Amino acid sequence: MRKKVVLLPCSGIGKAYGEMGRQAIYELIEDFGTEEVTTTCLARLMIEDPDTKDLVQGNTVITVDGCAKDCARKNVEFTGKAVDRALRVIDIFKDNRALKPEGILKLGEPGFKLVHMLAQKLKEEVEQARGKGKGDA
Amino acid sequence: MLDQFKQVKVGVIPCNGEEICEGTLTRFACRKVLDLLRPHDTVTLCLPLFISGDKGEQNFAKTFPTITVDGCEKRCSQKSTERLSGRPRHAIVVSELLKERSLQPPRSRRTLEEKDQAAIDLVAEEIAKKVDEILKNG
Amino acid sequence: MGNDFLEVTHDKFVFRVRKDYLYHPEECWAKEENGLIIIGVTDFLQKTVGDVAFLELPEAGAELAREGEAGTMETIKTSVMLISPVGGIIKEVNGGLDENPQLINTDPYGEGWLFKIVPGDWEGDKKFLLDAQTYFPKMEAKIREEMAKK
Repeated sequence: MRKKVVLLPCSGIGKAYGEMGRQAIYELIEDFGTEEVTTTCLARLMIEDPDTKDLVQGNTVITVDGCAKDCARKNVEFTGKAVDRALRVIDIFKDNRALKPEGILKLGEPGFKLVHMLAQKLKEEVEQARGKGKGDA
Repeated sequence: MLDQFKQVKVGVIPCNGEEICEGTLTRFACRKVLDLLRPHDTVTLCLPLFISGDKGEQNFAKTFPTITVDGCEKRCSQKSTERLSGRPRHAIVVSELLKERSLQPPRSRRTLEEKDQAAIDLVAEEIAKKVDEILKNG
Repeated sequence: MGNDFLEVTHDKFVFRVRKDYLYHPEECWAKEENGLIIIGVTDFLQKTVGDVAFLELPEAGAELAREGEAGTMETIKTSVMLISPVGGIIKEVNGGLDENPQLINTDPYGEGWLFKIVPGDWEGDKKFLLDAQTYFPKMEAKIREEMAKK
């Protein structure tokens, strides 16, 4: 059975980056469908929820962090799982300087433009991860 | 030299869960409390940062009272807070709160609709009420 | 590490001031090392403006006046004009910031340094700077102001 790709955002509430990462992942899941690409609660992984642990351990993991604190990546690695790819939302902003989200949760049009670009970048990462044979069990 | 400003604030720790729509609801409700309802009395603690070992987040939770806001009965925020900093003063579970008040959860985890505002308001008011109780009773 | 800094905690944020540096009220610091002056921004500034996404700094060889413009720093929230607290000629710019400008956020007094300058008149310029003990209460006052704005 082909491995899934599990996308894990940091989902922080203090900065717009958290919401952007989350929204990009939701956009991608709608494109791909949840049989191929999915997400789960980072916090569930950290309380050692068995189903969540199995999902993460057994599949390809891409983390999407808001900033250099890299919470999603660190939290996953803390469970003993090496992430397959680690992205930072701020890197999308760096390539699109004129676009600034309007709020922390209500991103507005410029914020959602960044979200869409991040989703496209994520899509490339997912396809690369699957294309390198990591998709096969 | 370590000094602290003396005002007591309450740390609000939402689960921010991605998997279900109640996780999205926790984010909006908590931001409403932080930005509108109790801006001078509350601080949000970022759960992923908290879990990853950030000393600022963990020390705050050890020093000041906290309220955890979980989307579902898994109680990730509550359990993490108990493990890392001690028992929260109040633990809210959004799915249970909505059921008690006969409110439907949002349909989408990605976007909340206008009709979901009632649920956001309910959760936010509940958090604000708990903040007031903590500050009144010490 | 605890002996190197003056600290104050507000809410969940710990604001730090390096004891052996000198400070300018425009939230930059200066530290003499082997005849050069290392320049950076304060912990208070980086916390206030957020994660640094873009940084434009003068090149090595550029001449700066005391309190003259020394580039810009941009975050998702705001754009900040940087000044040099010391006049002189830039000897070296922190190349590590090209790839990772967020070093300014994670280590503002260490790896997040901006540039090193050959000072024109260090003895004269440093009279305009504040030691840590003098800067610290000014920073605290700014913190209170920021919090009151909320």
